[in-house]
Amino acid sequence: MSEVVLKVENLETGYGEVQILWDVSIEVKRGQLTTIIGSNGSGKTTLLRAITGVIPVWSGRILFEGEDITRVPAYRRTEMGLVMVPEGRMLFPEMTVLENLEMGAYNKRARSRMKESLEFVLELFPRLKERLHQKAGTMSGGEQQMVALGRGLMASPKLLILDEPSLGLAPKLVIEVFEIIKRLREQGITMLLVEQNVHLSLMLTDWAYVMAEGRIVMEGTGAELERSDEVRKAYLGV
Amino acid sequence: MEAFVSALLNGVLLGLAYGLAAIGLNLIWGVMKVINLSHGAFIALGMFASYFLFHSFGLSPFVSVILVLALGLVVGMVAYFIALHRVISAPELSTLLSTYSLSLIIIGVGTFVFTTNPRAIDVGLGSLHVLGTYIPAAKVLTGVYSLIFTVLLYIFLYKTWTGKAIRAVSMNRVAAEFMGVNTTFILSLSFGIGIALAMVAGALIASVFPFTILSGGVYELKSFVICVLGGLGSPLGALVGGLVLGLLENVLTLKMSVGYVPFIEFLILVVILLVKPSGLLGKE
Ligand SMILES: Nc1ncnc2c1ncn2[C@@H]1O[C@H](COP(=O)(O)OP(=O)(O)OP(=O)(O)O)[C@@H](O)[C@H]1O
Ligand SMILES: [Mg+2]
Repeated sequence: MSEVVLKVENLETGYGEVQILWDVSIEVKRGQLTTIIGSNGSGKTTLLRAITGVIPVWSGRILFEGEDITRVPAYRRTEMGLVMVPEGRMLFPEMTVLENLEMGAYNKRARSRMKESLEFVLELFPRLKERLHQKAGTMSGGEQQMVALGRGLMASPKLLILDEPSLGLAPKLVIEVFEIIKRLREQGITMLLVEQNVHLSLMLTDWAYVMAEGRIVMEGTGAELERSDEVRKAYLGV
Repeated sequence: MEAFVSALLNGVLLGLAYGLAAIGLNLIWGVMKVINLSHGAFIALGMFASYFLFHSFGLSPFVSVILVLALGLVVGMVAYFIALHRVISAPELSTLLSTYSLSLIIIGVGTFVFTTNPRAIDVGLGSLHVLGTYIPAAKVLTGVYSLIFTVLLYIFLYKTWTGKAIRAVSMNRVAAEFMGVNTTFILSLSFGIGIALAMVAGALIASVFPFTILSGGVYELKSFVICVLGGLGSPLGALVGGLVLGLLENVLTLKMSVGYVPFIEFLILVVILLVKPSGLLGKE
């Protein structure tokens, strides 16, 4: 059995008075790709916000490498190796591509390894090499997603969290993003992926959770979920 | 001709100082999205800090400016936690009120302690002969120091990790937090730097012009005009805006009374806001 890197226990949270997540429990194991699928507004991003610490948790616990991080500030979690590639990319538009990548290595653990990380990222995304000095805000959507992924990798993640990395990309680029995820998985990088692209993610993933209306309603291997009638009806349109 | 050259030189030198003050306002806006209505009060506080260090310790403003910088940094960071931290994510009206009350407190206490009698720092450095005209050495130093502080700030923002973190927070606070940036610290530091620059500009200007505790208001207006000229959120724009304003002010007063200057500044402000609200050098 491989070791559990992230464990979310009975998590409940929301915005203001409105509760969004109800009794959510998930696990991410080292070296594995874990996926959360669910329709729009089901609470996936909210769960990731709670895991990364940008919204407070109402009840329940979050454990990272065995340590309770429920009350740890967000920036500390990044230092610990819990790294987020947020929905909508959130690049620093007025910074160059290189500066964006450097900001990825801002945390102390990553800074000393910045040179090797940069080589790794540029080898993964050769197209960024010619564009290092271009302002990130002026790049195309696909290129921006490459920078966002690269920036996450620069942080020396122990767990890389990806919130809808293929969102808004042309089909060809969607495939490319999944190729990258596949390569990262082969490299042994632990990932938690949130995706709307159910078929592609279930094909790749080691374990998947289905979220609906703020609850985990199903879990299993990718193959199991793909065979299940509910998933087929609700997300695969068959 | 000589009068014109002198007006140009004066304009550039003072413009650099006005630009420095405006950069303080600009940085706070750019990083925190806070319009700092205590800007002028802190400029005045810088003037009095310099005055006090000069008369009590005999320190020239051009030496004590380092102390004023450090003082401003500390005062600004503390002021952030007292006045802004709890309302930083609230609607803009809250931060406006909060910085306005900061201003009222400083000016209220300042009036009580210092009265509103005019003061001056006579550094006694004499004048320099430049391009056929005489310029007070204090004014030359004020311009040069302002330029140096501006360049140092630029290097800090673009070449250091902390400086890059400040820029990152200004572009996307949540993303910066995701990078491992302690954004609360960066916000307080930015306010500290903004206040320090305002106080430094005040300290330098105090070596050139007489002042009272109420003088900050005049320079606050200039800072707003400069930010609008150069575009809010652009430090380089603030420098250029400062030069434009300094030159305008000194060239125009060749032909008209100094009393019209605030009126003209205000006019510029209104016209630019009407014609190109993003600032002459600002982006859309
Ligand atoms: N900042 C916010 N304030 C208030 N409500 C919010 C906020 N962000 C999200 N919500 C609400 O929380 C619910 C869950 O949203 P969330 O973004 O977590 O869904 P999601 O599963 O990520 O959806 P999507 O697939 O569209 O990204 C939605 O009803 C949404 O309207
Ligand atoms: Mg989402």
